[in-house]
Amino acid sequence: MFVIMVYDVEVKRVNKVLKTARKYLYWVQNSVLEGDISPAKLEKLKSELKHIINEEKDSIVFYTFRTTRYSSREIMGIRKGGENAII
Amino acid sequence: MKRTIYIFSDGELRRKQNTIYFEGEKGRKYIPVENITEIMVFGEITINKRILEFLSQNEIILHFFNHYGYYTGSFYPREHLNSGYMILKQAEHYLDNEKRLLLARLFVWGAIENIKKVLNYYINRGVELNEIKENIKNLQETIGDCKNVEELMALEGNARDYYYKGFDLILNNPDFVFESRTRRPPLNRLNALISFGNSLLYTVILSEIYKTHLDPRIGFLHTTNFRRFSLNLDIAEIFKPIIVDRLIFTLINKGMIKKTHFEKHLNGIVLNEKGRLLFVEEMDKRLKATIKHQKLRRNVSYRHLIKLELYKLEKHLMDETCYQPFIARW
Repeated sequence: MFVIMVYDVEVKRVNKVLKTARKYLYWVQNSVLEGDISPAKLEKLKSELKHIINEEKDSIVFYTFRTTRYSSREIMGIRKGGENAII
Repeated sequence: MKRTIYIFSDGELRRKQNTIYFEGEKGRKYIPVENITEIMVFGEITINKRILEFLSQNEIILHFFNHYGYYTGSFYPREHLNSGYMILKQAEHYLDNEKRLLLARLFVWGAIENIKKVLNYYINRGVELNEIKENIKNLQETIGDCKNVEELMALEGNARDYYYKGFDLILNNPDFVFESRTRRPPLNRLNALISFGNSLLYTVILSEIYKTHLDPRIGFLHTTNFRRFSLNLDIAEIFKPIIVDRLIFTLINKGMIKKTHFEKHLNGIVLNEKGRLLFVEEMDKRLKATIKHQKLRRNVSYRHLIKLELYKLEKHLMDETCYQPFIARW
């Protein structure tokens, strides 16, 4: 499935969250990552993040799609990052 | 589905922040380790032991191709699915002549069957291929008469010769004529495409074998000798017509690949970087494309189809169900 992850955490933990998320998803722009991921891997990612964040102060949002067929993606301005199988 | 990463630019690949990091002249990029199964390297990259260790831990295979797109070799991490039982079974089927011949015959039979499917497709579109198909069919009927693997290989070669003759009729394009099959180096554009496509397929299959208990070093149709891998060559026979050849027809008939995508190198002709990029991109798309699987009654990708094929082979080796090669239905 396709996942968009958006996070808003305190500065202290920003790097840790980014670092963890980057193992699973592609960085798109500040605080946003996305990518195709299996449900199991998503759970793994969530549990890893759970140990990092302070649930009282931080927030992470996951948008999941079974397929991206009914969605479209548009970028205004520069493309900062994202998925690319060919480097 | 885990993905494949293709690296065409030059740079350094290393481990950073517990994930894979690529830094090249065109920029830097983090690659999610958890979502990758293999990396195909076409550019000139620098690696260190740390990344190899890390890739090994995460069961990611690195395939290297040289400057001209020829396969150089793979970093095949230590087997993570070890099974002495499977290796013994595989060796048993290799050493017992009867058993080996049976498997080899099935591979050849499957390969020819798929070749016929490709031909049929174009026959239905009015290309005069009936004679070629007839010749191939006659050869196929003599598979049972082959007494050893060498004869089978020869038979398969002959069938392929007939088949390749049909390429000119199918393509009907003066820029891409077949003439004859040439390798090392390929002497014309079509041969370059076939060679490149086949070597890509070999590596893809090798990656899939890594995910099973099978040992890629023991093949059945292709003799196991001092070459590194041969099982992937066996399986490739079945998939070449339906994956590589079909892709080549699409690329040429749709005018996607052009004369300008090739360059002369020594005596041969090879794809240039742009051509390789295009081919790899389309191949990746094709491997991800799904078809409805008759038995499983669900959609599976071509890549998964290869893995299913390996599972069938495992079943055969364990004497559970006789192996039946995958035959395209369309």
